[in-house]
Amino acid sequence: MHGTLPDNAMETSAATAIERWLCTQMHTNDVRVTRYERMPGGAIQDNYTLDVEIANGPWRGPHAFVLRTDAPSSVAASLTRAQEFAVLRAAYAAGVAAPKPLFLCRQPDIIGREFFIMERLPGIAPGHRLTREAGLVPDAHALAHALGANLARIHAIRPPIAELDVLAPPAENPALGAVAEYRAYLDRLDDAYPALEWGLRWCERHATLPPAVVLVHRDYRTGNYLVHAGRLTGVLDWEFAAWGDPREDLGWFTARCWRFAGVDREGGGIAPLDPFLRGYESVAGWRISRADLDYWQLVAHIRWAVIALQQAQRHLGGGERSLELALTGRIVHELEYEVLQLIARSAA
Amino acid sequence: MRDISDAADLMATAREALLGELLPALPEDRRYVARMIANVMAIAAREHRLGFDAAQSEAARLRNLLDGIGRPVAPSADPLRADLAPLRAAVRDAIRAGTFDPPQRADALNAALSHTAADWVTISNPKVLRSEAATPNR
Repeated sequence: MHGTLPDNAMETSAATAIERWLCTQMHTNDVRVTRYERMPGGAIQDNYTLDVEIANGPWRGPHAFVLRTDAPSSVAASLTRAQEFAVLRAAYAAGVAAPKPLFLCRQPDIIGREFFIMERLPGIAPGHRLTREAGLVPDAHALAHALGANLARIHAIRPPIAELDVLAPPAENPALGAVAEYRAYLDRLDDAYPALEWGLRWCERHATLPPAVVLVHRDYRTGNYLVHAGRLTGVLDWEFAAWGDPREDLGWFTARCWRFAGVDREGGGIAPLDPFLRGYESVAGWRISRADLDYWQLVAHIRWAVIALQQAQRHLGGGERSLELALTGRIVHELEYEVLQLIARSAA
Repeated sequence: MRDISDAADLMATAREALLGELLPALPEDRRYVARMIANVMAIAAREHRLGFDAAQSEAARLRNLLDGIGRPVAPSADPLRADLAPLRAAVRDAIRAGTFDPPQRADALNAALSHTAADWVTISNPKVLRSEAATPNR
């Protein structure tokens, strides 16, 4: 191992184990890890920058990879690495802009946990930057259009697909399924949350059947895709993917809570709503109604509040004391406030 | 006792020192943590000033809603403690049972919960309310 940078013994031994494992995967006898370091962020998954040099064989040359594995404690609702790898393969094969998945390791003894390796795409992801620094997104309408079209390509993936048997079968009515799931979670907490309960009751009373059951990403939003030279290079973080209602992703992407510095730009804080929906329609052939979008934006705020409560619980439960997780708990108030605003607006 | 700084003032002063003196001296990759600490200190200072009233007001609104549907909850033994947990649980149960579905009750519930949420947002992240006021439309 030459020029390796990991400065602690554990990462050094992991890099050595990865080199050995990759030799068999890449049909070569000489893999050198030239860089292996943890990427910042990732409350649920651990991602590592992984650069390798291959001396011979079909993969000869330098490669820029990402190694993705579970964080020490994770949210129960997320997929295993093997499931996420299967989803990413299906999406990549369907022409979705996403990192190409390469190798899955289900043996826990290589680095201590399951992991997979994917190509590392260029680009910038942080939502607060993409919604604030105009130079990063010179043509916001074009980016929003591409994001809409790309989402529709994910939604074109429909059951049954043999490789995606790893996913749970779809709920008959995903909206009601979500209501039941979030209520069950709230019931596990000591305190009650009347605003979220009222939002859930509203969703329960206004739920409609999905136009189709499709592959939904369930975290498709600004902050989870890469933009390079103003263009979309790939969508990240597939750990929540499932069979579901395509309107859920549309509500999540456009919800106020995911617009960062661009709260008045409904297209993910990037652009107005219209170019995003036009991009979606250009591939999907249909457009969501205003009422349905309002409904699923409401679901989005409730879901984010439930996830925020889960993250705060990881901190409060003592398993993982963290300033970031503790602060995430505090955003529940503003999500509750938005839920109530959305209900008031839809009743008016 | 104006001659001794109260907790909220101490917190605000400490926060100014963190942002003014420490933050500029930190390397870029550590500033995120410093900003989070500054945020936590601002929340704690606001909660110290406004938290008691927010809890009392929330309790009063929840009691009022429960009285309105004929399910009063016995007042807390200690008048200084708002005892929110049983009130929130009682409202949750009534919501799930559909008791607040009729339009008039729904409006009253939504208004009361909105006031409460706004009170807590004033503590946790007041700029949300300011930007809401500035952009009435989506």
